[in-house]
Amino acid sequence: MKALIQKELRENLKLAVLGLIVISAILAIEIHSYSLGMKSLAAGRSEYVNWSALQPLVSPELLMLVAYFCAIFGALLGWFQIHNERHRDLWAFLVHRPATRTQIFLGKLVGGLVLYVLVTGMPLAGLVLWAVVPGHVAAPFEWQMLSPIALFLLSGVIYYLAGMLTGLRQARWYGSRALGLGLAVLVSVEIMDVPYAWQALGVVLIGGSILALAIWGGFHSNGFYRGQPAPGKPALVAALTPGCAFLVFLAFAFVFLGLLHLRDESTDRHFQVTRDGAIYKVIRQPGQPAEIADLEGKPALDPNTGRPAKLEDFNKRACNWISVNPRFDNHRYRYRWYGAARNELFNYYGTTPDTLWYNWNRYGRLVGYDVKTRQVIGSLGPEGFASDLSGNGSRLRIESGRAQVIVDGRILCTPDLEHRDLKELFTVTNEDCAAASLATNPAECVIGAVAPVSMYGSYMASPGSYIEHLNLIVGSGRENDILVVTRCFIRLIAADGTVVWTVPYQPAYPDYNQVRVTRLEATNQFALWLEPSWLIQEKTGGKLASHVIQIDGQGQVLKNIELPDLSYHPRTYSAQDKIMCVSLPPVVTAIIPLFSEQPWLKNIPWVLVGCSLAAALVCLPFGWWLGCRYSLSLPARVGWSVFILFLGIPGLLALLCAEEWPAREICPACQNLRVVDREKCEHCGADFRPPEKTGAEIFEPLAAAK
Amino acid sequence: MNESPVIQTRGLTRYFGAKAAVHDLNLEMPRGCVYAFLGRNGSGKTTTIRLLLGLLEPTRGEGTILGHDIRHLPPEARARIGYLTEEHQLYGWMTVRQCGEFQSKFYPRWNEKIFRGVTGHFNLKPATVVKNLSRGERAGLCLALTLAPEPELLVLDDPALGLDPVAHRSLMESMIYLTRRSDRTIFFSSHQLADVERVADYLAILDRSVLRVSCSLETFRSSVRQVRLQFPGTPPPLPAIPGLLQVFRTESELRLTCVHYNGATEQTLRALSPAQLDLEPLSLEDAFISYLGERGEKSFILSETEAQP
Repeated sequence: MKALIQKELRENLKLAVLGLIVISAILAIEIHSYSLGMKSLAAGRSEYVNWSALQPLVSPELLMLVAYFCAIFGALLGWFQIHNERHRDLWAFLVHRPATRTQIFLGKLVGGLVLYVLVTGMPLAGLVLWAVVPGHVAAPFEWQMLSPIALFLLSGVIYYLAGMLTGLRQARWYGSRALGLGLAVLVSVEIMDVPYAWQALGVVLIGGSILALAIWGGFHSNGFYRGQPAPGKPALVAALTPGCAFLVFLAFAFVFLGLLHLRDESTDRHFQVTRDGAIYKVIRQPGQPAEIADLEGKPALDPNTGRPAKLEDFNKRACNWISVNPRFDNHRYRYRWYGAARNELFNYYGTTPDTLWYNWNRYGRLVGYDVKTRQVIGSLGPEGFASDLSGNGSRLRIESGRAQVIVDGRILCTPDLEHRDLKELFTVTNEDCAAASLATNPAECVIGAVAPVSMYGSYMASPGSYIEHLNLIVGSGRENDILVVTRCFIRLIAADGTVVWTVPYQPAYPDYNQVRVTRLEATNQFALWLEPSWLIQEKTGGKLASHVIQIDGQGQVLKNIELPDLSYHPRTYSAQDKIMCVSLPPVVTAIIPLFSEQPWLKNIPWVLVGCSLAAALVCLPFGWWLGCRYSLSLPARVGWSVFILFLGIPGLLALLCAEEWPAREICPACQNLRVVDREKCEHCGADFRPPEKTGAEIFEPLAAAK
Repeated sequence: MNESPVIQTRGLTRYFGAKAAVHDLNLEMPRGCVYAFLGRNGSGKTTTIRLLLGLLEPTRGEGTILGHDIRHLPPEARARIGYLTEEHQLYGWMTVRQCGEFQSKFYPRWNEKIFRGVTGHFNLKPATVVKNLSRGERAGLCLALTLAPEPELLVLDDPALGLDPVAHRSLMESMIYLTRRSDRTIFFSSHQLADVERVADYLAILDRSVLRVSCSLETFRSSVRQVRLQFPGTPPPLPAIPGLLQVFRTESELRLTCVHYNGATEQTLRALSPAQLDLEPLSLEDAFISYLGERGEKSFILSETEAQP
């Protein structure tokens, strides 16, 4: 096997060198652009700074490039390794040697993997080394940050195996050789979908095992389905099925969405409040002008024309809002594993002319770096500035994207990075604490949400009609206000800590977990919306009303209106949903919602499963008929039928792609068409007739040489 | 000596799509012989070899080689079989020396002397890269790689294909002098009848995927006969003659090629009252071409030819 590995290394060296040059160039550019950004920041300019790549190891752009490179290089390497020898004589030269097919397979696999790891791993190891050495990267580093790069590197192995399978597979329809790449794509999609890195690793291992088994089987059968060892056949089918599913899905999308223009016919209903405080109901139906009417049913009129207002004109009169979903159980939003390395381990917090600050979750403190030396300067915690990372061990609670920090769940502060200090803004009252201790366990926070009104500013980049009225809000001089939600109260607090207004949080958390605040600029009033959670609405059938509390500038409650929850409606499925589900495997349609992060979606959508199942039931007799026509054994027919029942149309396509369909010819005995790969006619049991004699045959017994 | 056949097949059949490339092949090849496998292009020779070596899955039928099922040849069996592929494909980036080193690591009985001897015979320099070798040199290198493991059974798929006469002669000399051993069996396909005549004990002929001949060279030569019948006038129509391959008809002559010529055949021919009946000798090449050529009657009557526009 050693000789085979050496041969593989030498044979694919050119491709490896090419890959090494490409990935090295990508990483060199990344390092160069980072250094350029830091230098410009040190010079007081920030135009070259890529704020999402302050720690290059978790930069989304770099991760995407690494993921794409690993996938493309892996697939090419795997394919070339087989394709180089796919000339039938060279393949014969390779496999006709005193080595088992398993040894030959392993020789190729090990050789390929060594090359893959060298090409992708060496430059990435260099990047890590550069980033780890202090003075290069002015950002926190933890080994955990390497998990996205490592996993994307590992997922490239799946593409490597898929490329190998593509090269190896013998198929009448050339496109079906590449179906194994579908599994690699599915693995890529799934690893991006699972929350934890270990789950992503599991997905990679499962996908890799299936492909490796299919390739191993392919080495035994020279790439054919027939002749594979027992574990190879199901593995090959499993490797081909995702590709079939993608093909079917794309075909359906092309036909029904692209050619027939089938569109979702769902209706959008919501309440909208204008800057003068009037509430309107907006109903949008596809292909029809929006209906906008006040609570008494009178249509909103355009003040200039006196006619019913168009939606785009109405939107200019409408207010925007900030919305928070308070949580008191110290819950942090759980990012997916690749985002967690960037967003949960640390966040960029802010800059001063010579420092960069991060919220480093490991220490629960704001950690500062000198822009010029790119070295740690110290950390900021509840007790103030410390020259080390951990201070005395005390921690802050810092919401991602919020300027304010919370000390001990009770005190709201604003960090002063220039002076490396914390400025206290607000401390919860005894009433807040008392209610919290009654309702919750002591470990829970008293402050459930903090939302700066300046969040409006984050919409500034959005295109369209928002911009105009957002300018009004941001320009209104109240952009530094902060919304603070405790279990008992909802408060608007000014930048200097003054409480603008306090309203009881009633109806209360957790049934009402959506808090929205709208500023009514025209009247200097506020509208506070308390909306029920989706979960409770699912339980009550959407019976809970939304509460709109109108508050004047002095904090007096003017009105409390109850409105039906328009956003809730019993779940229905459009024709588009149903048709697209026809293309999906029933098992997938049934299982996908169970993995939803939204509790109210964790139900099996029986209507959609029914659509997929109906398609599967239509395919079932066709699959059975194919099995009979080509005389598959009864267990094979039953197996394929069960497979089609679970996998639907993609299952049938997998059957068509995986099996090799033998020729059929007329049986001279019974005149029925029979397959040529059976020793006896499947209809009458007759043997195959030997070739017709011409009378010119010359046969004699041959004697061994003496 | 083990008397069991080296190669044995029963009903071996392989389809490509709806076409049978090898049809119901029943073959038995004794040990220690040189067996030539003949047939026209596309008759199924290479497919048969690939089936025998487990490089292709048979559509139906079965076979053994050195006593092992052809579908599951173990490495020990492969170590005993030398296989020279049709187009002498090798890794283009390897040097001659590297080819030898690579191959030697798989074969416990690798004989470096033989490898050097054959490569020396073809004047191959160890440092020459394979892609720079001529076709003949590559064939020589392939032969060296096939012979150096000292296999019991040599399977050579048209070893002289595409070689110029000098390279061809060189290759055949190597084959004759280096391969011929009493305990070695050689199975080779070829189109070169002169080679077959020089080295083969037995021959087999595949005619359109079907094995029609498997016998010694002498039996084949003696079984395929040519008869010339001269008539005073226009030859009469021929009755049905068993084993008739070809008939050439001229204004006063019939020339017949047939298999299994015997007394009954002669009696049938004499019943046509020819002025003269001569049995003419056939070379192996003539016999082979007659055997595989187009069947039926051809006329070479001058007046008919001239009458055509």
